[in-house]
Amino acid sequence: MIDINAIISTMMNNQVNIPLLQPLIEPLLGMPVIGYLIALILWKPFFVLILIPGFATMGIMLLILPWIERKMVARMQWRVGPREISPRTRGIVQLLADTLRFLFQEVIIHKDAHKLYFLQFPFLYFIPVLLPLLFINAGTAGNPLVPIQTDYALQIMVALISLMPVFILGVGWASNNRFAFIGTVREAFLYFAYEIPFIVIVLAMIVLYGTSNTVGVVNAQSGVWWGIIQNPLAALTFFIAMVMATARLPFDIPEADQEVSFGPFVEYSGIAFGLAYVMGYEKMYVLSAMMTMLFLGGGSGPEILGLGDLSCGIWFVLKTLIVLVIMVNLRGVYPRYRLDQGLRIGWGAMLILALVALGWSIVVMGVRL
Amino acid sequence: MKKVATPEYDIKDKLKYHVSALSTAAKEVVLPLNITTHYPRERKKMPDCFRGYILFDPERCISCFECSFVCPANAIWMKEAPSGRYYPTLDYGKCIFCHFCVDTCPGGALKQTKIHDVAYKDMDEMFTLTEEMIEPPEIIREDEGYVEYEIDKEDLSLKRTKGIDKLIVDVAPSQGVPMVSLCVEPESCLGCGICEGMCESGAVSSLKEDGMVRMKIDMDKCTGCGLCVKECSMQILRLVRK
Repeated sequence: MIDINAIISTMMNNQVNIPLLQPLIEPLLGMPVIGYLIALILWKPFFVLILIPGFATMGIMLLILPWIERKMVARMQWRVGPREISPRTRGIVQLLADTLRFLFQEVIIHKDAHKLYFLQFPFLYFIPVLLPLLFINAGTAGNPLVPIQTDYALQIMVALISLMPVFILGVGWASNNRFAFIGTVREAFLYFAYEIPFIVIVLAMIVLYGTSNTVGVVNAQSGVWWGIIQNPLAALTFFIAMVMATARLPFDIPEADQEVSFGPFVEYSGIAFGLAYVMGYEKMYVLSAMMTMLFLGGGSGPEILGLGDLSCGIWFVLKTLIVLVIMVNLRGVYPRYRLDQGLRIGWGAMLILALVALGWSIVVMGVRL
Repeated sequence: MKKVATPEYDIKDKLKYHVSALSTAAKEVVLPLNITTHYPRERKKMPDCFRGYILFDPERCISCFECSFVCPANAIWMKEAPSGRYYPTLDYGKCIFCHFCVDTCPGGALKQTKIHDVAYKDMDEMFTLTEEMIEPPEIIREDEGYVEYEIDKEDLSLKRTKGIDKLIVDVAPSQGVPMVSLCVEPESCLGCGICEGMCESGAVSSLKEDGMVRMKIDMDKCTGCGLCVKECSMQILRLVRK
């Protein structure tokens, strides 16, 4: 027999504190069913994982980020960007319209494709994308907002993020198309080029903070001593590795539209293509959240009056959004690197920078001790 | 032979260029220039000499066939009107909008307009008859303004003006140089009468003198179309200034 009161009391002991909404929440908690629901929603792990900065925020980001990207890159290139759908809101519903179109389009699975894997992988990709969100700490020093606390959080996150390209390789293999093969091989090449500097950088930050628990990571960045100030080289290399990992310009070598026409996803159509299209954005969101947590002090920032814990979440999402916007706008600035140039950057400059950053962390740690 | 090598940059140059590229992008995000014309709602202002849809004025046409001869795409065919005169028809499926016909027309019967967005249902409809060339096609105007591109010292910018741009320009048609046909060697004339048959304005007449046929060209009636000059089997006719 499940003791519902025990569950509720567990939830009630770990509630998100929002002083502004407290008068509204108090009477609702007294009601029979709605009270349980409110208690669940305001339960810290649930709130962080599902609402801010978890799945709901990610969903909203997926809807507005392509619009922001298209609008800003258009401004850089003296164009207008999406406009014809709802001109008064400057075309903000463009992606919603695209999604609707994708939904009603036929999903074509060609004869040579491996049907099972072809349809599975875009859905399975959500596993390595969504699981790292379990360890994201959106709180500040001394006030963690994290669904699961564990001493191996960063390691698990890196492992899950390293798993993502495997799904893209699977997609390319199941497509059974020459462009998909070329894109997949390019992805595999780049995977090794960025993964090693990426892991070295995370290692450098673990050394610097002395812990791999995400709560400890944010606690180590109290005040203005954000990770980016403690170790700017690591932040720069992490950012480049992030751009490479999400295959954004100037490193969109696997997906290069003009060369291999979206690489591994060339055979996708309909809603399957829609899923494949947002795959990159999901990965971008997770990596940006990780960067915010590792280098930009998590949810720290001047507290917005009366919002309590929600203020941390808002700061966290804002920082993540800034990172994302900088990342997507590189598209309007840089041309695409060739594969060999990309590999040279990965195995050359980035690896050296990562190792220097690791040395920096060790020196800083030594001085501190 | 001069070989072009890849430029060598040191790390300082590279950083400088990265910063320059990123700052330019940031500047454009905040204060963007814009060169997009929202076409149905506004139009780009074309110059008066724009080579667009061609209008035809039958009053000025002297049926000289020059437009048809000069057309590089062979888009102009002369068609016989009920009056017996020949007028041009234009196939817009072939026309390359070089406007050689407009420039060549000695009487200024063809006229350029700024209309550049005519839609046809099929290829047959693109064959425009003489009657259809007289009046401009029906245009539904949705535009409330027009734009002009201006080149500043370094950048291109867009100037938007309210109001409707007039698509049919009021330019005086070219008067041309009045020419007449003249027989330079009457003694060589065979009297074959081809020129008389060619002439559409009835300026050439034949009369018998001493058992020989002599051609006579009425200078007042001659429009200077030059058809008789082209067709004369002895090539003794010339176009001269009136």
